[in-house]
Amino acid sequence: MALVLLRRLLHLIPVLFGVTVIVFLMMSLTPGDPAEIMLANQNASPAQIATLRHDMGLDRPLLTRFGSFVGHALIGDFGQSLFHHRPVAAMIAERLPATIELSLAAMLLTLLVAIPLGVLAAVRRGGVLDRLASVGALFGVSLPGFWFGILLLIGFAVNLRWLPVSGAIDYARQPPVITGMLALDSLLAGRIDSLGNALAHLVLPAITLGLPMAAILMRVTRASMLDVLRQDYITFAEAKGLGRARIIALHALKNALLPTVTVAAMETGALLGGNMVVETVFGWPGLGRLVVESIFVRNYPLVQAAVLLYAVTYVLVNFAADLLYTVLNPRVRL
Amino acid sequence: MRLLPLLLTLAAAALPIAGRAAELRIGFTLDTLTLDPANHRSRETESVLRTMYNGLVAHDPAMKLVPELIESWTWIDPRTMEMKVRPGVTFHSGAKLTADDIVFTFTRLLTQGAIAGQTSPRKDLLGPTREVVKVDDSTVRFLLNEPWPVLPAMLTFQEVVSQHFVEQAGPAGIATTEDGTGPFKLVQWRRGESLVLERAANYFGGAPAIPVAAKACTDRVIIKIIPENASRVAALLAGDVDIINELPAHDIRSVEANPNTRVMAVNGTRTFFVALNNSRKPFDDIRVRQAANHALNRQLIIDKLLSRRAVKLNGVMSPAAFGHNPSLPEYTYDVAKAKALLTEAGYPNGIDVTLDADGPQKETAEAIGALLTQAGIRTKVAVGDGSQVRARWAANGKREGDMWISSWGNGSLDPTDIFEPTLKTGGRGNSAFYSNPKVDDLLAAGGRETDSAKRSALYQQAEAIINHDAPWIFLWLPQDLYGVSARLAGWSPTPSGWLNLRDACVQ
Repeated sequence: MALVLLRRLLHLIPVLFGVTVIVFLMMSLTPGDPAEIMLANQNASPAQIATLRHDMGLDRPLLTRFGSFVGHALIGDFGQSLFHHRPVAAMIAERLPATIELSLAAMLLTLLVAIPLGVLAAVRRGGVLDRLASVGALFGVSLPGFWFGILLLIGFAVNLRWLPVSGAIDYARQPPVITGMLALDSLLAGRIDSLGNALAHLVLPAITLGLPMAAILMRVTRASMLDVLRQDYITFAEAKGLGRARIIALHALKNALLPTVTVAAMETGALLGGNMVVETVFGWPGLGRLVVESIFVRNYPLVQAAVLLYAVTYVLVNFAADLLYTVLNPRVRL
Repeated sequence: MRLLPLLLTLAAAALPIAGRAAELRIGFTLDTLTLDPANHRSRETESVLRTMYNGLVAHDPAMKLVPELIESWTWIDPRTMEMKVRPGVTFHSGAKLTADDIVFTFTRLLTQGAIAGQTSPRKDLLGPTREVVKVDDSTVRFLLNEPWPVLPAMLTFQEVVSQHFVEQAGPAGIATTEDGTGPFKLVQWRRGESLVLERAANYFGGAPAIPVAAKACTDRVIIKIIPENASRVAALLAGDVDIINELPAHDIRSVEANPNTRVMAVNGTRTFFVALNNSRKPFDDIRVRQAANHALNRQLIIDKLLSRRAVKLNGVMSPAAFGHNPSLPEYTYDVAKAKALLTEAGYPNGIDVTLDADGPQKETAEAIGALLTQAGIRTKVAVGDGSQVRARWAANGKREGDMWISSWGNGSLDPTDIFEPTLKTGGRGNSAFYSNPKVDDLLAAGGRETDSAKRSALYQQAEAIINHDAPWIFLWLPQDLYGVSARLAGWSPTPSGWLNLRDACVQ
């Protein structure tokens, strides 16, 4: 087992190298360079742009820049942000907790909604709930995140005024910083007022982020549940005279969750991407927005480091899903 | 049942805190890149920094230049400017502003590699400034390599820092904390989310030329970063913020329709024009260029495409700019006259030309093309990638195009900043390839003249000649739009984009 783990972790190396190469090339081949963008609308002369490009080290050959990036990244140095003049690693670290918090909230919301709904839809196949859930899932998958988010904003923040429009917490309600995740910090510090404020800020972004994933997971859970319910061992359990609820909860669900876990892990990619949109719409101070802003201005070092981090996260989450497989189904061996 | 009180507390905490009249909230497009005034080239960053820092020179509400951290400036000769440091100014830390701080600030800006090995990206905004020296405790001198009368206007782009603070805090410290002389001091910067400022108790009051309001009532300012347009407008409409910048034109109506909000507009500093290729047929003929100016119904485009949020220009500069000529004749919309001028120039059947544009200008370019075509200037619009179109129209380029819809920012509102690059023979932004020795002479004289009145007259003369020569189709100056809460008083937007929150008040 330990050997398998190690081997899987070693697989990370070529994956990350590949990601680095692709990101580096994509950023370098995209038209527009940071120096020109930094001085855009500033009436700068070509000479001034060239000087700035030199200062940023962008006039070095592509291979030299790549080598230097990889060399430094290996020792944990991702360089300085071209526009903020601060270490990229520190900038990512200070934005990461907000993104993790939002992603976890979205994930939690998704699982709490999608799995029970999927199970119920399968059990009452063709019923009202099943049909409603199917229509809901269709909407969830097809609504563009930014549009849905703005719709929620206008409804719940502007018209009803139940929830705040943007940000992660009100200034006067901030809890002491422990993990950087505001709801968690509020809990740890025992600040009920902060917790309420943080959760109020979290609701709309988490729903916006979680909805597409919830829709997909609901459909997957429903389908696999239907599949499992047709298996012989379920018929056998019924024949033994076990109760319906007991059969579903103890015999069917565990096996039905296998595809759900796989899809949930694969959807982490969508979650990371969705963060960029949702954080922008809701002024959420996370990493996704920093990455979007950095892509716009071709802030190479930051984008490279962040994408590497995304890749590592994705691979690790999928790895964890594989481990979870062995728990759910002991026949599965890594 | 025990859950109920907990839930109520949670719900109460979710609501905004009541009675925040002493707090002003702003919904702002972009987060500040750094708090180091010398280490960025971002207009948004400068807007925010100006609430905490001051410059040697500032603009008054009418955009006139006034001394801020100095009492006066005097030209000793065209290459030397002397300034008297304003006494009684203190930094937020309590340290007194001295001549040494000013020398230190500008030495840091001018010296290669002075900011942790890098050179300030704001260095070139100081033009031919060689060095700044201290004469005595209350006097500093700017020494220039060549005459540069625009220096006072360009000094509005630089903020003065405390030598002691910068040396103590180091490059990382000055990027994330502040010690300015401005009306507000930083309390907290939650990156990507908000900046919280509080009124600085020891603020010196600002430039005496800008009168202080009776009582400033804003104790705290929260600048919330809301990049998405729709969300920023939503925050204003929900009463979550009192000011938003970059109000999209299509949201004007919803902001005006809401009884609690209104729209405020201010003339920007960016001049839009269609550069005509003066170096080859057909626009080498002044009559064809004038015909093009008469052929365009600018008001129609301003009304229909720009939501009436732009002012027509008959020349080069904003009406607020120094040296602007207010009596330039207008090229009225007159298709018959345009056709007559074309016939006179030897094109009785009209001409076929191409108008280059980049993506963002596509719509406007198509409207211009359609209007010109009606007057016999049959225009094909070619939309291309920004950097490629710019390269095609570079001053040292091949001069192959006919027309290009372009713009030039004049943040200093000084003529040097826009006439010299765009209209002087061989200027780096002279995309029309315009060349008139008389204009060149006037610009050269204006570039040397340190007497304001004489200098203004020189540029007025130049603008009159340019108006007649019509190297461009003169277009417009777009306005910057803001949405504000009806509770806001004592605040108005500025062409420079500075937030000027000193006198803002939420009732």
